[in-house]
Amino acid sequence: MAREKKQKEEVVKQPYTKGTLAVQIVMTICAIIYLAPIFIIINYSFKSKKELYLGSPLALPKSFNLDNYVKAFQKLNMKATFLNTLFYTAVSVLVLAILCGTTAWAIARCHRKFFKFAYIYFIVGILIPYQALFLPIYTIGYKMHLTNTRYGIILMYVATGISFGVFLMTSFMSTVPLELEESARIDGCSVFQTYFRIVLPLLKPAMATLIIMQAFQIWNDYLLASLYVSKKQLKTLTVAIQSLFSAQTSDYTTAMAAIVVSVLPIAVLFLSLQKYFIKGMTVGAVKG
Amino acid sequence: MKRKAMSIVLAASLCAGMMAGNSVVCSAAADEEVTLIVLAGQSTTDAGIEDMIDEALAEQYPNITLEWECVDWGNDFQPKMQQYLQSGLPDIMIGKAQDVATYAPQGVLGEIDATYLDRGLDAARENVTVDGKTYGMVYNALYQGVYYNKTMFKDNGWEVPKTLDELQAIIDDCKAKDITPFASHMVDTWSIGNVTMQFCMNDVFNKTPDWGDQFRDGKVSFSDSEDMQNAYNYNKLIFDNTYGDTFSTEQTDCDAKMVLGEAAMKVSGSWSIQNFLDIDENFDFGIFPFPNQTGDSKLIFEPNITVMTSAETEHQDAVNAFLDVLTGNKELAVEILDYTKTASMLKDVTPTFDNPSQEDIDKYAADNMIVDVTLGNNQLVWGGFQEENAKDIAAWLQGQETFEECLKASDGRVDASSAN
Amino acid sequence: MKRQKTSGMEKKLVRQYLILVLPGMIIFTIGLIVPLFLSFRYSLTSWDGMSSEKIFIGLENYVKLFKDSEFRDAWWFTIKFTIGNTIIQNVLALLFAVALDSGIRAQKLYRTAFFVPCLISAVVVGFIWLKMFSNVLPALNDFLGTNFNFLLFGKAETVLGGLLIANNWQWVGYWMLIYLAGLQSVPSELYEAAKVDGANAIHRFFNVTIPMLAPAITICVVGITTGSLKVYDLLVASTKGGPGRASTSVIYKTYTTAINGRQYGYGSAMTVTLVLALLLVAVIQVKGLRKKEVQA
Repeated sequence: MAREKKQKEEVVKQPYTKGTLAVQIVMTICAIIYLAPIFIIINYSFKSKKELYLGSPLALPKSFNLDNYVKAFQKLNMKATFLNTLFYTAVSVLVLAILCGTTAWAIARCHRKFFKFAYIYFIVGILIPYQALFLPIYTIGYKMHLTNTRYGIILMYVATGISFGVFLMTSFMSTVPLELEESARIDGCSVFQTYFRIVLPLLKPAMATLIIMQAFQIWNDYLLASLYVSKKQLKTLTVAIQSLFSAQTSDYTTAMAAIVVSVLPIAVLFLSLQKYFIKGMTVGAVKG
Repeated sequence: MKRKAMSIVLAASLCAGMMAGNSVVCSAAADEEVTLIVLAGQSTTDAGIEDMIDEALAEQYPNITLEWECVDWGNDFQPKMQQYLQSGLPDIMIGKAQDVATYAPQGVLGEIDATYLDRGLDAARENVTVDGKTYGMVYNALYQGVYYNKTMFKDNGWEVPKTLDELQAIIDDCKAKDITPFASHMVDTWSIGNVTMQFCMNDVFNKTPDWGDQFRDGKVSFSDSEDMQNAYNYNKLIFDNTYGDTFSTEQTDCDAKMVLGEAAMKVSGSWSIQNFLDIDENFDFGIFPFPNQTGDSKLIFEPNITVMTSAETEHQDAVNAFLDVLTGNKELAVEILDYTKTASMLKDVTPTFDNPSQEDIDKYAADNMIVDVTLGNNQLVWGGFQEENAKDIAAWLQGQETFEECLKASDGRVDASSAN
Repeated sequence: MKRQKTSGMEKKLVRQYLILVLPGMIIFTIGLIVPLFLSFRYSLTSWDGMSSEKIFIGLENYVKLFKDSEFRDAWWFTIKFTIGNTIIQNVLALLFAVALDSGIRAQKLYRTAFFVPCLISAVVVGFIWLKMFSNVLPALNDFLGTNFNFLLFGKAETVLGGLLIANNWQWVGYWMLIYLAGLQSVPSELYEAAKVDGANAIHRFFNVTIPMLAPAITICVVGITTGSLKVYDLLVASTKGGPGRASTSVIYKTYTTAINGRQYGYGSAMTVTLVLALLLVAVIQVKGLRKKEVQA
């Protein structure tokens, strides 16, 4: 906490020198180069098919026509796909936050051999590319009647995300002061009570990191979603957009509009919650 | 503050998700309604026909709803089928004629009722029939060959070439006049694979229809077969006479350049027509088969949209109703054919779109100079074989592999050359 | 002191801890570990992924694998891609973070600009750069009258560079945020102390900043390496593994072999070897980096 204050002071103290100006200019150029592809996508998305074929890719569209957007909205089945993606992401992340917290805490606090094994067991999962395991993952899914259900895909997101979550949370546990827990235990709290009353509130920043990191992955996941939810009304945005790409090779202005449409909501969400995002991401990266 | 923001987001998404969930339950609850699951493996030109079919079906059989799963045929159809082979097939699958040979032997496809088959052309049946039973309903067809700019040919006094020498003469003249002889988009491996099969049809399978079987028996091989090497070598001919950036040129741009008169010819298929006409509705083009060594090339014809049904569907009546609409509704058929710019495989149905190359097609058809590529695709399958060979051809053209290595790689893939 | 008394209590405690751990373990086992073993089992068969019979062929697939030059090439590509990413992404992310932390105005604006690309899924990023390299940038040549070769996806020699650009464009912002957070948490008195000792900016960077960033570096290096080794989505809508097989990653190769090539058993063997290799790399990395962290 004290550190945070100092940090703010420091920011104010830094003088704006010629060097800073130079950095500012260089970074501005970098940022422009960085954003160029985004402008180009937006530019494309307003072009008509003729302009696409016959005009220069750098030329601005002749008119501000929204045809591509209308088409993209329909082709993506936007209303359903967007809500689906949001739902899968939110629920998976919530479940992950709960499970990873409890698991990591138990691993950090109980020094039995089994828990050490459990840690290694989970860590193995960070390194298994589930992409490579997609067919057996699907086989398991249909055998257990999980495919084409909402809970099936959520379960899979949890399974593939839990390793990283446990890794992250366990590394954070060392910053949770033991004294509080011990005094709670002396007051007669059970393990569960201790966790939910004492530890969980302290974990909030780590939880935020976890939620943010997983939310991105799940939001942008393509492979699992394409395996588990093939029904039209259960589809996610990435799956819908991929089929749009392969279907619209000759008309990629629509595909470009679809990209804008799909990125816009998450971009807005990010911009409005930026402060929390970044605060959350601080946690794992900073020495406790 | 932070907690509030987070919880609002989460609560909103939960509500939203639940609402979406409910609507699904509702639609499934009405029980006299039948919902058929359809897996559609589509080519680039096919996307969009599902809406036309939905509309026509809703008029004739309002109780049947189709639940579409549309995927790219080349990349995703087989993986999807592989999944479904383990969990149970969808009621209806739309693929290509060659899929029947792959999946029918697994015993999972249902026989198509003669009522519907009889509405289609007899020519369509042969390659979708296994052991006397027909498992596929072929709906439309593509033509493949060399598309050429008619105006350019006329202006330069070029005749449609029948032999490779005549073709070479045109190429030379093109170069003299600073015209790119061939438009191509080799960035798409599938297009390399596709043209290679076209070459094989006229230089290999025309002489040896069972080349693939002989290959698997060890009687012939890519390294030894002169015919096969000729077919591979035409790729080099194209590569040497096409855009310098063909490995970065996509189909759209490739076709646009051709329409704009930068290139004279393109080895391709009917899927290019949609692009050609989109860019310039007055573009005048024709088609001829890529010449072979013997000068008797045939125009290539490929049955495209092929409907297969599951042997274990619970709604056979509804499946039949679907087939009824597809084969019986001529308006729908014309609409689909016009949209995809393809030829009909139904009796008495002719598309009404203006196809400048139709004249040429009719001429080859009248002379019986047409051959069904399904033969070649059954002898040497696409997935895992032709597709992989195309990658080696690309590597060879780019100088990453020698020609011998490229041929040897194809030989090494013998186990993957057949569907079964 | 309390040992004797608590042995009964401790058992109860352990049981309660177990209840906390088990649900996660079960889900994880179903979702990943069981499939892994299934993969191993299939790798000993000649299964095509479709038929009902799976014929046991022992280690034949693995023997074949060692002679398979295409698989070796796929590995080689993946390794180059991973090394390239780990270096470029770490360096760029750190540089950007330091630049943003140097007191420039409108820091947030830059942060957002660099971060936006990673909101986009890799499939889409691949598609965007396909268009960038083949259409947009060449048009820039016309515009500027220059003659740069932008057709990076079109040649086997340059495709890796093109993919590195696309991948870094997407991810640098993400890792930059982590470094930025690390930088901002370095107590200023450490810098003051270094200044008093007469260390110049470069010295301060290497002797104060880098050691203090150790946890961030661990996260970034591990994250980037494992992410790059698993590359697949990026290729799906861009190079599709081409030209030829020049950009075929291990996972891409596995996919085309097991699915498009109907050699599920053989593909499973690829999976198993990949998993083993990944585990090895990770163990080395985590051990090495953690050790450094402790020293720091």
